[in-house]
Amino acid sequence: MSVQITASEGGIPHDTLMAVGLIGSIVCLYLTYLNGATGTDVFSFFGGLAAVFALIWGTDTIKHLCSYGIGTGVPSAGMIAFGTGVIAMLLATQFDGMYLAPIMAVVIGAIVGFVAGFLANNVMNMNIPVMIRSLTEMAIIGAIVIMGLTAVMAGGFGFDALSVTMVQILGPLEATSYASSLLGGCLIAVAFMLGGIALQHPFNACLGPGEQQDRTLMLAAECGFLSMIVVAAISFAFVSMFAAVISLIVAIAGWYYTYAKYIELSRRDAYAWLNAKPILEPKGEA
Amino acid sequence: MSALGGAAAGGEGINPMGSAIGIVVLIIAVAITAIMAPAALGAIIGVIIGGLLIGFGVHFVPVGGAPAAMGQAPGIATGVAMLAAGAGLAGLFGGAWAAANPAFGIAIVIAAGAVGGGLMMAITCLMVNIIYVFGMGIPSASGKVDKDPITGDSQPEYKSQGTEGHGLPFISYVGGVIGGLLGGAGGTLIYYELLQVYSAALPALFNAEAAEVLPVAVSLAGIFAIGMFLVNAVLAAYNITGTIEGPHDPKFKRFPRAIIGCAVASAVCGLFAILIVVV
Repeated sequence: MSVQITASEGGIPHDTLMAVGLIGSIVCLYLTYLNGATGTDVFSFFGGLAAVFALIWGTDTIKHLCSYGIGTGVPSAGMIAFGTGVIAMLLATQFDGMYLAPIMAVVIGAIVGFVAGFLANNVMNMNIPVMIRSLTEMAIIGAIVIMGLTAVMAGGFGFDALSVTMVQILGPLEATSYASSLLGGCLIAVAFMLGGIALQHPFNACLGPGEQQDRTLMLAAECGFLSMIVVAAISFAFVSMFAAVISLIVAIAGWYYTYAKYIELSRRDAYAWLNAKPILEPKGEA
Repeated sequence: MSALGGAAAGGEGINPMGSAIGIVVLIIAVAITAIMAPAALGAIIGVIIGGLLIGFGVHFVPVGGAPAAMGQAPGIATGVAMLAAGAGLAGLFGGAWAAANPAFGIAIVIAAGAVGGGLMMAITCLMVNIIYVFGMGIPSASGKVDKDPITGDSQPEYKSQGTEGHGLPFISYVGGVIGGLLGGAGGTLIYYELLQVYSAALPALFNAEAAEVLPVAVSLAGIFAIGMFLVNAVLAAYNITGTIEGPHDPKFKRFPRAIIGCAVASAVCGLFAILIVVV
């Protein structure tokens, strides 16, 4: 049995959102390469912005897919997105030396996602017209989001850089450590779950009668910045203090703006749904 | 079919064309592994068997979703993917603990994973029934069968009108534990096989001692196992389309499709997971 899911029609076309999300997130991922070019890590925050771009696109994809009664709930779509995405992202980090990691994440994500979509549609007999395309998009989104959040934490996404860190012993002495690296500490799992929740939550929270695209997408951006706050806090362990503070400030500022906007849009839709007027705050008299 | 609020798809029967293409993809993935990483051939077969166990195991897990939360369907009130992931990850903890001890062979590691997954499902089913029976005051009754296939207890007298049954009948409970055992074993098998590949290949890749790079190998195998677990669990959930009571549910007969699908998906994911130490 399936539960009917009501989604708004109209708004920004999905293709437009996909183009903006894909190009925006890849450009932001490439901007994190400025870290290597300038020898600093202050540009790590671009990874978080890439994740936000991808999450906005992904929320619209989930809305597209889940408006068909898939019967398994919205969160399952987010889970398969990240299950396929993490595989694509980790393999793509091996191509970092040739500056191909973001492109390879898209390519490998598309392959894994296409296979998952084909299996769901043609072997499981789902027969949903947008299934293959949606799962392909979502695997790419999962890969980009994990890559972006990883970039915020570690300042880059090369496989070697994620596996090895230099730890200082007694001040000037340095030693290589695998256990305290991003992969060795399995912080990739944190990026995985933070991204997964941020992707599956917005449409799940906003679906139903009165769902509006701008409000759902604003919540997606808010969830993205919320995840970025956490990874920015983790980044204090890996990048310089200055870079981590910049990431944290960008994340908090982005979160505050999107949260305020989201509440405003929620009130707008609540008034519209109740066919009521905003309640004016009394002024003057105490 | 309308784009909004269409009925859940997923009819009966196997799609021969789709399944054949899937099996060709599986063979291609195994062939690429055999050419690019001959040493990992055994590992990818283990990964495929693991994925297949997960896909099969998910069909045993009783899931009711939102109707179960309202006491209108038997099963646990959450999505298949969430529950299967819970059982699989709990199994992975048990399996990873056993895999960390070099004295334990593959059989003990997988048994530890299976026990972890089964235990998680047993505890979940027990707590669900306590809430249903003592909290909500509703007896457990199956809507799919007249008699419980294990205990032989009659069901219709206890079933409320207008519902598909409620609570967690004994057969569903047993099914849940079997599902947890299979899921935990499958997830652990994927983890164990990948861990063997990484702990063999990473020291050469980083030019470091095996013990030094072990955390990276464990982390990589763990996150890949989680990723593949979720892919397989969601594909199996798509096969079930929502709710299932357990092995006596008519939807259970759909499992051959999930076995094909999960084996193919695991082969492709396993190929990429192994390529990471080759490229």
